[in-house]
Amino acid sequence: MRWATRRHCHVDRAACAWLIRRFIDPEAEFVFVDDPDEVPADSTPFDMRGAELSHHGGDCSFETFLHRYELADPVLWEIGKIVHEADLADERYDAPEAPGLDVILRGLSMVRDDEELLALSGPLFDGLYEYRKRALLLGREPA
Amino acid sequence: MPSNRTTWVLLAYRLPREPSTPRSALWRKLRRLGAAQVLDGLAALPLDARNREQLEWLAEEVAQAGGEATIWVGELTSAAQERELAVRMAETVAADYRALIADAAAAREDPPGQRRRTLGRLRRELRRIRARDFFPPPERELAQQAVEELAVLVEEPVQ
Repeated sequence: MRWATRRHCHVDRAACAWLIRRFIDPEAEFVFVDDPDEVPADSTPFDMRGAELSHHGGDCSFETFLHRYELADPVLWEIGKIVHEADLADERYDAPEAPGLDVILRGLSMVRDDEELLALSGPLFDGLYEYRKRALLLGREPA
Repeated sequence: MPSNRTTWVLLAYRLPREPSTPRSALWRKLRRLGAAQVLDGLAALPLDARNREQLEWLAEEVAQAGGEATIWVGELTSAAQERELAVRMAETVAADYRALIADAAAAREDPPGQRRRTLGRLRRELRRIRARDFFPPPERELAQQAVEELAVLVEEPVQ
């Protein structure tokens, strides 16, 4: 399936792309556009104004994906809190990882294009998932 | 014509008077972003990718709350008016920095455990203010110093 989002990805779009590839559509292809009008007809838009899979009711797009695809994995919801705070910083959640994740992805987006950003941030989110999963199983921070 | 003017991203919006919850939520979010209220229904931030994106999400929220919103990118034609706007924005964050400096001074009298917790809170608050400080006033340095001095006091070994 083809998925479309805005060019110059930052944390929410990078996290959504990882979520799509790993949990929704392993064959996903991504298209980057400047304006909602440029979204190709055969692709599903996300994290853009007017899209179904976007910000809703104060949720970031990653959280909207979790709702829409009924992904109940509690580790994903933990990551959702981190992505929410990294993207919106509205202090709805306590996510101390968020400012660091925001800086790392913003910096990466300054030196890499969107394709490379998604390729590089994928393993980062794999690692974050594994870490939060172990933390959840252990009941404390793993090492 | 080349210009060294600030380019602004603006949110023009109209929200129903009632219910008032979306109104106050929008106001809080604009304040957290450090936006200047140019007129009733027109808020401005210096243009960068983050500010533009954040205002676009607010526009979406306005639409979802039954209002109307558009996003504009523009410059002020008058240098004097641009300075006035920057000064007004700087004064708003300067007041926030002054409140933080006062809190840091008061915390010097706190018992050590409480002082450490206050330090954590003030560091987070300083980071929040800096994120919305686009035209830094002198108070910014003073606030930074006040927090660092409190940190030194917290780190001093117990006699």
